[in-house]
Amino acid sequence: MSTKSGLPQALCTVLFASVLTCAASYASAQSATEISIGAIVPSSGPFAEWGRANTVTLKLLEQQTNDAGGINGAKLKIVVLDDAAKPAQAASSLRKLAGDDNVLAVAGPLTSSAAEVTFPVANEMKVVSTSQASSKPGVSKLNRPWAFRNTIDEGVLAQTTVPFFKKTFNVNSVGIIYDAKDATAATVGTRIMPAVLKDSGISILNESSPLSFNTGDLDVSAQVTKLKSLNPDGVVISADYSQAITVIREMKRQGLIKPVVGSTQLISSAILKAAPEIPVIAPSTFYATMKGDAAEKFVNAVQPLLRKESGLPAEIEPSMYDANIYEIVSMYIDAIKKTGVTGKPADLEADRTKIRDYMAKLEGFPGLGGPIGFNDDGDVIKAFYVLQGQNGTWDPKVRGCSSVPNHPAC
Amino acid sequence: MLLQQLVNGLTLGAVYTLLALSFSLVMGILGILNLAIAELFMIGGYIGFAAIGANLPLPVALVAGMIGGALISAVIEKLGYEPLRDAPVVTPMLSTLGFSIILQNVAINLWGSDPLQLPDQYLGGQLQFGWFTIGKMQLTVLVATVLLVAIVAFIVQKTSTGRALRAVAENREVARLLGVSANRLVLFAFMLSGSLAGAAGVLISLHYAAITPYVGVEVGLKAIAVMVVGGSTRIWGALVAGPLIGLAEVMTVAYGGSQIRDFVVYGLMILILLLRPQGLLGGAQIDRGQRV
Amino acid sequence: MSTYYAGLFADAGILLLGALSVYIILATGQLSLGNAGFMGIGAYITSYLTVMVGIPLTPALIIAAIISGIIGVIVGFPALRLKGIYLAIATLGFAEMVRSFLLNFDTMGGSGGFHGMKHVTVGYIWIWSGGILLLVMILERSRIWLEMRAVHDDETAAGLVGLNTVAIKIGAFGFGSAIAAIAGGLFAHHHVYIEPGNFGFERSVDFVLAVILGGSTAAPGALVGSILLVFLPEMLRSLADWRMAGFGALLVIVLLVRRQGILDRALLRRLTFSKAAS
Repeated sequence: MSTKSGLPQALCTVLFASVLTCAASYASAQSATEISIGAIVPSSGPFAEWGRANTVTLKLLEQQTNDAGGINGAKLKIVVLDDAAKPAQAASSLRKLAGDDNVLAVAGPLTSSAAEVTFPVANEMKVVSTSQASSKPGVSKLNRPWAFRNTIDEGVLAQTTVPFFKKTFNVNSVGIIYDAKDATAATVGTRIMPAVLKDSGISILNESSPLSFNTGDLDVSAQVTKLKSLNPDGVVISADYSQAITVIREMKRQGLIKPVVGSTQLISSAILKAAPEIPVIAPSTFYATMKGDAAEKFVNAVQPLLRKESGLPAEIEPSMYDANIYEIVSMYIDAIKKTGVTGKPADLEADRTKIRDYMAKLEGFPGLGGPIGFNDDGDVIKAFYVLQGQNGTWDPKVRGCSSVPNHPAC
Repeated sequence: MLLQQLVNGLTLGAVYTLLALSFSLVMGILGILNLAIAELFMIGGYIGFAAIGANLPLPVALVAGMIGGALISAVIEKLGYEPLRDAPVVTPMLSTLGFSIILQNVAINLWGSDPLQLPDQYLGGQLQFGWFTIGKMQLTVLVATVLLVAIVAFIVQKTSTGRALRAVAENREVARLLGVSANRLVLFAFMLSGSLAGAAGVLISLHYAAITPYVGVEVGLKAIAVMVVGGSTRIWGALVAGPLIGLAEVMTVAYGGSQIRDFVVYGLMILILLLRPQGLLGGAQIDRGQRV
Repeated sequence: MSTYYAGLFADAGILLLGALSVYIILATGQLSLGNAGFMGIGAYITSYLTVMVGIPLTPALIIAAIISGIIGVIVGFPALRLKGIYLAIATLGFAEMVRSFLLNFDTMGGSGGFHGMKHVTVGYIWIWSGGILLLVMILERSRIWLEMRAVHDDETAAGLVGLNTVAIKIGAFGFGSAIAAIAGGLFAHHHVYIEPGNFGFERSVDFVLAVILGGSTAAPGALVGSILLVFLPEMLRSLADWRMAGFGALLVIVLLVRRQGILDRALLRRLTFSKAAS
């Protein structure tokens, strides 16, 4: 290539790229008549469906709030950014929301890996960040005082889930299989579940030789054959639902029809189709067929919107994470209304602190499934349910609570 | 249990064989690592699902997947490879990466990021053989793989197109002087490779009866290892290396090493690369890797 | 500069180091698709030293770079037997082995990840990135670089005229591995959390992508490529659900229009010349 043609071509390339990319600008006009809240959701990448459903949910809440007269007369604006479930992009998103868009608080990020990287940034920038799905133990505890999670630590949930599993299916021995590439699943599979199982008097048949696979593995036949040869009463699957589906399908194919127990990662409608006759036990704080005014109103409002959205399955139901992010932003709105947040640029720092203090002291906030508060670790205190998924539906079996009995949230 | 694990390993090996062959058709002839093959495999799977969902018989689904894979592969060749033919090999490799990013995004937007699953009946049909059971679909996968490899071997070794392909693989300059039309041959190699990836996608997604837009990545990397182990210039190499890697994986898991499975697989690959750079069946001549 | 851009520049600085690590190896005609492995080694060693041993970051980075450089040399020796895409595949396999090892390395959290690093500023990251970029640019004007290019262009001929091709190739591998390790150490102390998944195939490819997009014939090309790769996905947010497809399409288009990368030596000369003239 000749020297002469080099420069214009290079410039053209750069120009072309910038024209395409700078098509939209992100004006963040901040005035007292508008209040901005940020959200980080994974609208692309492996959790795209959750991120996109979250976005629909947030748009609904924004509209509901503004139709009802806004917040103290100001219009609510929810700025939603996609992190593609990548930690670095989640951290950049938080920097953008807090630094450039001047939001009062942030809902998200969704995954634990993203939360691990984003929560320290939230502390550095002094803005509240509340995850809607991270359940890896100890993530918010490490990042006091600005990080919160509207999710219950898997360690707490397992203590109710496992005894129910034992009692219902008369399980005395299990085999554990987990996703070694997924930090949450690996922690639950190698630390939390083994401890809770032992406390419940269940023996782990493959304690000395753990069975694992990697996110994205198509074939888990060897692992399942090994599980089958152990002849367990039940199977612990620690993986997110889409990986767990691969395992459950393989169990069915090889004729290992044994009850399955796992963490909140299993909760999804897709997993119910994997093998309807294999019962799946997992904890959740919300399910689409939940009874109660708040929950029913929420489902009735959001479900038609979700089903209308292109890029989401036609029969989608709102997930626990839609409920969680709806609650998170509702809490922020409540905080702004009640603690004298002005929304003026000059008061930004004070406003953010007010929201943090509101969250830290929160008790009895009316969530979709009952009252909500936060513990000293920044994790939510609320009721949860042990669900049994079988023959295509999730049924609540036990109601538990993530705190001591008689706590106002329980 | 051992026999059952052998069956598992062979089925997994069949997947690797088809994909490795798909990689090696482009790699062996053009020296290009086509990274979009992993996503062609994934798209093939979705095409298979769509066909079966429309109550079409398996052979029709297989052909549909192959045509889909071949067509997308042709587009990739025309847009992403042909203009970059004379560039160092790393450049077209990265342009195929661009296509794989696009294909994955398209799949997410078309079919969602949640796994799609076929109804139960596709999981059934187990045949009992005393010590082990084998699914009918599993058997289909194995038979189809051997047939497809045989067809490819026939095309490459017995037809005039195949001879021309091998001439290009040996020496592109000489092939050009002999009047071999390289452009059409390259397009043919890409399409053949794409149709194999599509076929693998259909067979495997139907065998596991579940698919996500992310199935290609891990399997794709393993298939590259299989291609290397088998030798990228010999068709039958993949048929030996696929089951070998499949069995190595399965046996590592069976004997308590599921956590170090990938370590073993890639270690084996590097060992073979160092001891026999031409691959297990790669013939005597060492591949002259092109400059990057 | 807002915190948002500061964060992105920090990411770009780390990517620049990764890209330079590939660039140096590529200068001798070897393609590495496994530098994320060396980055992971660097990230874990540096974090081990700062968190568990308690030494300051700068010496920790230097120690990590030296260890990783030695591992690079050890890996480089058998790699001499391999060429072209086969070498690339072997390095890919090496990186996957490192990742698999880290997943099982329970001393530092295994798959659960590792915490406790202190956050570093974007300025500190760029002292390293800028410094090493400068170092590579100085190297480019040296005799050694000519020898490296000679090995790149024709290894046999380079050997015949008496160049020690083995030393040059191994040296490039070691130097590249050391730089990748620094990228890893800085990554760990920028994000203050690491897990083995951070150092997968995708990361290795990003490094190569930054070099090829930016221009593989001059070190500043890596700078252009790194900034482009970090900022492009952010700027494509308006495409919403089609963001990644847009990114992939732009990638292909840039490669088609500028196969030698955005910045090549000719362009670099013109740019510097016009600057001097004005």
